[in-house]
Amino acid sequence: MAGIISSKKDALEFLHKIDQTKENDQWPNIKPRLFYDNLRLNLEDHKSFYPGRSTNFCSYGALSYLVMENDPLGYVKFMNELYEKGEATFNNNHFKPSKEVMKAAGTLKFTGVLDIRHAEQMWFLVLADTFKGYLNFFNKKFHEGDENTFWAAANLSKYNRMVSEMCNTHVKAVGSDLIKPWVKDVYGYLEKRIDSNIVSLYINNRIIHKKNHDKVKFSIPTHFIILRQIRREGNLVTLRYWDYGRETEMQIPVRTLKKIIFGIITIDK
Amino acid sequence: MTCRLIFISIILFVLTSCSTKIVSNNYYQEQKGTVDSIERRYEKLNPLNPFSLAYTDKKFNIISMEMISDTLTRIYEFNVNDQRFADTLLKYNYDTAGVFYLIRKMKGSKVTWINSFDYYVNDQPQQLIILSIKPRTIRYIFSPPRYIALAYFRTNQFFDEKGRLLDGRRTKEVRKIKGQVFYKITDRICYTITDKYR
Repeated sequence: MAGIISSKKDALEFLHKIDQTKENDQWPNIKPRLFYDNLRLNLEDHKSFYPGRSTNFCSYGALSYLVMENDPLGYVKFMNELYEKGEATFNNNHFKPSKEVMKAAGTLKFTGVLDIRHAEQMWFLVLADTFKGYLNFFNKKFHEGDENTFWAAANLSKYNRMVSEMCNTHVKAVGSDLIKPWVKDVYGYLEKRIDSNIVSLYINNRIIHKKNHDKVKFSIPTHFIILRQIRREGNLVTLRYWDYGRETEMQIPVRTLKKIIFGIITIDK
Repeated sequence: MTCRLIFISIILFVLTSCSTKIVSNNYYQEQKGTVDSIERRYEKLNPLNPFSLAYTDKKFNIISMEMISDTLTRIYEFNVNDQRFADTLLKYNYDTAGVFYLIRKMKGSKVTWINSFDYYVNDQPQQLIILSIKPRTIRYIFSPPRYIALAYFRTNQFFDEKGRLLDGRRTKEVRKIKGQVFYKITDRICYTITDKYR
């Protein structure tokens, strides 16, 4: 990435100096206490970002991980300005959310702990409202409940663009939204890059996290994750990855690894 | 030619428009004793060492277990008779007898998934347990599968005149869980019909 721009300490010092009690009518459902407590949590544990249960925010969750890796102060300044003024700029990307999004922030329910994380609700909604790809073509304007619909979805090129623009970094991706990457040895490819780069994967989560018992399933990618570790014992691959605010470890056969991956995104550290 | 096209169109319409029918309309009452005991056992075991269980195959032989610790979620899939399953439960300090009791009961009652959910009322955390059941169905080609999901709340809930789960006492807003409307069975148990078990 562009390298570490700011530290957690700088960001916490900045947060400490802010008046954390102010309300803003532009964000009628944001509770200042929940908003600033959430910012503090994000700074203290930058892996805590939780995109919510049954939402389409996973790409913005993975993006948050990358943003927080190198610029926590930039994040907290941006969020504070966005809350105070209703618009703000992050790495030359200007964000001016729609009124519908500003009204919705703080109202998401039954999404797990995201219900009470008002800063993350604001962050995910504003990112989804600003960055658009072809999946959002027929649903560009936010309506209630759109956190679960194509309004919030991201395809591979949109994700790459978001990472590149928000982290000001070089992104190299193989794969696509429909066709798997032309990589002969997927395990070898990942193993070679994981230490020197940050690796994000665009996967078909429905194969490993089955939701029904049908054998015939559409083979499409559904989920973005950050790969943290990978190791192989015989025919079994153990993946450790970050998504939904925590790390997950999973064992799958080598054959399944190839089957689930649609995009490998390599990001400069 | 036109007749043939109309005939094919009618056949295609019939095949795609028929929805899956659940044979019994009274699943909960028929299986009440067993499913309630599964929920009670899970409610006891889960706080000690959190986990979820899902049968991922139609024959109820393959179990996917999520083992949730403070720092890591482990997702492993086992054949229920595999020694590796019991070894893994022991390794991560699960109540092996308790988990095996659950998976036996789940198989017997066609419960495909059990998990606990956190949700918030007035910014305070609450928990509910969801069980998904694979009922006997009449299924047409191209029609989606059907599951019955039961939600067990810890406290009494509020419902409208149609029996739909509401967000609270003073609201008419219908509460959706994973995008689904739930209907009343008792004051703290409700159900929905869904095409996904989790």
